[in-house]
Amino acid sequence: MSADTPESDTKLNEAEAREQLIDLAADIYDQFERGDIPQMSLPTRTKSNIVFDEDSGVWVYGDRTSTRSANSVRGARKLLKAAYTVEFLAQQLDEDRSSTLRELYYLSESWDSDEAGFSDQDESNQLVEDLEIVSGVTREDFHMRPEESGATLMGPLELREQTRRGERDIHCQEDVGEGGYQIPNNPDTIEFLDHDIDFVLAVETGGMRDRLIENGFDTDYNCLVVHLKGQPARATRRITKRLHDELDLPVVVFTDGDPWSYRIYGSVAYGSIKSAHLSEYLATPEAEYVGIRPQDIVDYDLPTDPLADSDVNALESELEDPRFQTDFWEEQIELQLDIGKKAEQQALAAQGLDFVTDTYLPDRLGDMGVI
Amino acid sequence: MTSFQSQLGEDQGIADELAEGQREISIAEFFEKNKHMLGFDSGARGLVTAVKEAVDNALDACEEAGIRPDIYVEIREVGDYYRLIVEDNGPGITKEQLPKVFGKLLYGSRFHAREQNRGQQGIGISAAVLYSQLTSGKPAKITSRPKGEADAQYFELIIDTDSNEPEIKAERTTSWDRSHGTRIEVEMEANMRARQQLHDYVKHTAVVNPHARLELREPGLDEPLKFERGTDQLPAETKEIRPHPHGVELGTLIKMLEATESYSVSGFLQEEFTRVGKKTADKVIDNFRDRHFGRELGWSADEDAVEAAVAEAVSNKGADATDFFASEVASTLGSRERTSHHELVEVVDNVADAAEGEFDTRFGGTVRDNAVEAAWATMTAYDEEVDEDELTGDLYGLVDEATSTRKDDAVVAGMAERLARRFAAGDERVRATHAGVRALVDEAADDTEEFDDATFGDTARENVVEALWSRMVTVPDDAPKVRETAAERDTASELLESMRETDILAPPTDCLAPITDELVEAGLRKEFDADFYAAATRDAEVHGGDPFIVEAGIAYGGELEEGGQVDLLRFANRVPLVYQRGACATTDVVKRIGWRNYGLDQPGGSGMPNGPAVIMIHVASTNVPFTSESKDALANIPAIEDEIELAVREAARELKSYLNKRRSMQKRREKQDVLGRILPEMADKVAEVTGRERPNIEGAMARIMNNVGVERERDGDTVRLIVENHSDRTEEPDVTDIVSAEPTDVPEEATVVDLDGEWFVKWNPSVPGGEEAVLEYTVAGDAEFDVNVDGIETEKLTVNA
Repeated sequence: MSADTPESDTKLNEAEAREQLIDLAADIYDQFERGDIPQMSLPTRTKSNIVFDEDSGVWVYGDRTSTRSANSVRGARKLLKAAYTVEFLAQQLDEDRSSTLRELYYLSESWDSDEAGFSDQDESNQLVEDLEIVSGVTREDFHMRPEESGATLMGPLELREQTRRGERDIHCQEDVGEGGYQIPNNPDTIEFLDHDIDFVLAVETGGMRDRLIENGFDTDYNCLVVHLKGQPARATRRITKRLHDELDLPVVVFTDGDPWSYRIYGSVAYGSIKSAHLSEYLATPEAEYVGIRPQDIVDYDLPTDPLADSDVNALESELEDPRFQTDFWEEQIELQLDIGKKAEQQALAAQGLDFVTDTYLPDRLGDMGVI
Repeated sequence: MTSFQSQLGEDQGIADELAEGQREISIAEFFEKNKHMLGFDSGARGLVTAVKEAVDNALDACEEAGIRPDIYVEIREVGDYYRLIVEDNGPGITKEQLPKVFGKLLYGSRFHAREQNRGQQGIGISAAVLYSQLTSGKPAKITSRPKGEADAQYFELIIDTDSNEPEIKAERTTSWDRSHGTRIEVEMEANMRARQQLHDYVKHTAVVNPHARLELREPGLDEPLKFERGTDQLPAETKEIRPHPHGVELGTLIKMLEATESYSVSGFLQEEFTRVGKKTADKVIDNFRDRHFGRELGWSADEDAVEAAVAEAVSNKGADATDFFASEVASTLGSRERTSHHELVEVVDNVADAAEGEFDTRFGGTVRDNAVEAAWATMTAYDEEVDEDELTGDLYGLVDEATSTRKDDAVVAGMAERLARRFAAGDERVRATHAGVRALVDEAADDTEEFDDATFGDTARENVVEALWSRMVTVPDDAPKVRETAAERDTASELLESMRETDILAPPTDCLAPITDELVEAGLRKEFDADFYAAATRDAEVHGGDPFIVEAGIAYGGELEEGGQVDLLRFANRVPLVYQRGACATTDVVKRIGWRNYGLDQPGGSGMPNGPAVIMIHVASTNVPFTSESKDALANIPAIEDEIELAVREAARELKSYLNKRRSMQKRREKQDVLGRILPEMADKVAEVTGRERPNIEGAMARIMNNVGVERERDGDTVRLIVENHSDRTEEPDVTDIVSAEPTDVPEEATVVDLDGEWFVKWNPSVPGGEEAVLEYTVAGDAEFDVNVDGIETEKLTVNA
């Protein structure tokens, strides 16, 4: 359990973050003064440039870099946008305010330079990630948040959240409705007070999450159900990691049985390619995969859909992804390519609505040694 | 065509009846009915053609006289007609010639001349006179003042179409303010629908005749169109050349043979043709003899048999002399591989002469003839009945050598035997022309194939023919004389073939006056306001004995029209071709060039390219091949088309590198524009964020632009000029620093010029890519500087000094 006072932590981060940002601007300034062409080096953000870090057990960027240089019109525009964004972020930190990524995109319209405005939101999102990487400060510490987080927790956990209206103590079963506890954008403002949890179960789809809650799986097994809502937001991954690290809880991930869902597991366990610079902060390498496994499709004779071409491509690309180069994954992916089928979590309902809570999960989690 | 052949059994008198209706038609009458052939097919076109003919004549006349042309063209509406006036400052025409020049078709000085001229047939201007008299009924009014005469001569004349002779309606002496020149005034039925073509014609004439001054007035113009001279340099004077042996046709050759004063063909060739001297004439004559007489095949000789035969044939010359003569003839022949009949005659003559000297005996003509006959009979003995054959052995060797080793020996032997039989049956002296040999070999080969069941293909036959022909020797007989050759069509044809067969130097090109690439460019510059000009002049080439030169020019950009196809200007002997663009060889060539390679848009990759460009093509020749008499389009002659393509491509290559450079400059400029906005903003922003002053961005800018930066540093009295080359190649700027006080300690590499209290420090460093050069000198403290840098494109240069 964290003994740090979040109050001072945040303040320190803000000052640090601001300084780091201004250093970036100063760097460009100095390059100008030296008569050099301003440039900014970034790790290449592709799957060929992520390496496994033995110490932390997560995947991080390798040493290949690409350079944004003012030598080209494109590079110069990026640097100009970076300079404007730095100014905006520094000012935001100064005033202790926050904004969303989308707001940044719209805000750029008001900047006094025609060249500095973003052409789409992907561009501004990417720039913020660039700044995270070169400054070593996370987006949350820039006070930038995504538009929607929306992911929820449900289970025997009591926590304290710093809100705008002061501290709130919340029990994630007793103090919340059916929808569960909404994870805030910056989960580092949460303090865990008490819990009865045996393990954390991260679930991909809303349908399956609701089934588990309805069947009382969280109370029956002392399980904290984390709803991933598809590809999990940073806050979801961060809180999952904190639950594992601070409360020493095992984490398991339960998704559909298709290549896109394996990537969801991958980003929870190993970190995503886009945010490999934050893997240490976001990834839970100890997280284990529950299913649906291709083997399940065979064993339980689940209703399936055939693999589409894009599914096959994604599976093949995963075979080359360093994050999936384990015996387990290679075996499962090759089996799936072999049978040419995929199945959703809800396909388990083919054996009855209670099958998942009465049979599938208890058996599987028992095999995995979680219960 | 109606058939005038009378048919048997039908109306007996029909031929007589028809004959009554048949009469000679004059050339003038013919053209009256076939105006279109001369370019007078419509009122609109007739006017343009008339202007064209008159202006072409005027230009030719001026150039011939070495006068810079000054030509005035006026078109006026006169009632229902148009009046055309063309005035030049040429040498004028004498009173005697004038009526014929304007009033007789096919009268001119150029038809027989091999020289580059605008006019060729002597039809043009008189056709204009004819056309005007036919349409308006009015005579042509001509004034001419020959150079050096006090007065001008005035004529009114029409053409008598029956006789093709001028008919003078009025004639008087008059005064004229021009010191020399000619003025023609004709009235014709016409219209100005072809105004554009008329303007094009005059404008394009100005392009290719930058030495001429032209003025055009016509009713649709408020101001006369004036085209001033672009150069004072007249085109190089052309020399008339005699025809080239490769360029004449049989009819022409016979006419020339009939007209020449030479007696021998050799003299005729040297006299009447260009590039023919004694040596070339001899080569032609040898070929001519081969064709006319054929060559003789020689045979080997059996010494003993020949000696016996010759001894037998000589009588009453004494034993010693006879023995000497016979053995000498035999041994001479024996030492030769083969001897033909005329060579044998020569051998016998030589030996007889020697014998006469040795033995004081006369070996007269009869003896010699007998000896030749006896020796020849021995050498070529052939009689199948008595199995006598001296020929087959020699031929076997030849055939065997000429055919491939895979030929069966029996086939070779059979072929040799058949050839021998045919040679024996033929000319006694074994003479044959190349065609004769060919026929003989063919027959023998056919028989060999038929009877020996062997193949004797074309290649083998050809080889045998060549083997025989190369061993046959040209006979010494005198070639036919000019008179005989002229009289006999076949003989003349043999001479023509011999001329064509002989390698002869290409004709000289001083009969041509190309505009030259410089003046092509100057002409384009004068009339088209473009950004880029290129021109190319090819070396002279020959087609059918007539030398020709192709030139091409391209103008691009500037004020030229952006949309649509490029403008193609076509010229032949400096005359613009206005009509029938689609039928012209130049158009075909331009269309088949892939213009995309040269940076011009070309929909579909073929056809006329698009873009703001003018392409001009000029073909100069002593005989420009037109598709018709109206001289509107060049005929598709492959040799000329090839040269046109090469010339256009040569100019187009320059266009391509210009366009490439322009594009990269444009990109650079765009980049410079954008970065020129972005970088200062970036500098301002980082200064704002860091709370410092705006950084100096010149260095970064220069580097980004691959620029050459010129900077000045001052340290007390020491001045340093620094050239930084940020590009990747060596730059050599011309730096001139203008200083208001006298600079001292200037290093040797720079020069200082004092100009009225200003000092020009000139420095021309060579700076490799990525490096810098420094010039350091000393000057008093309060001096002012002004630096000027040349030799580097302004887009690449940043001066901060």
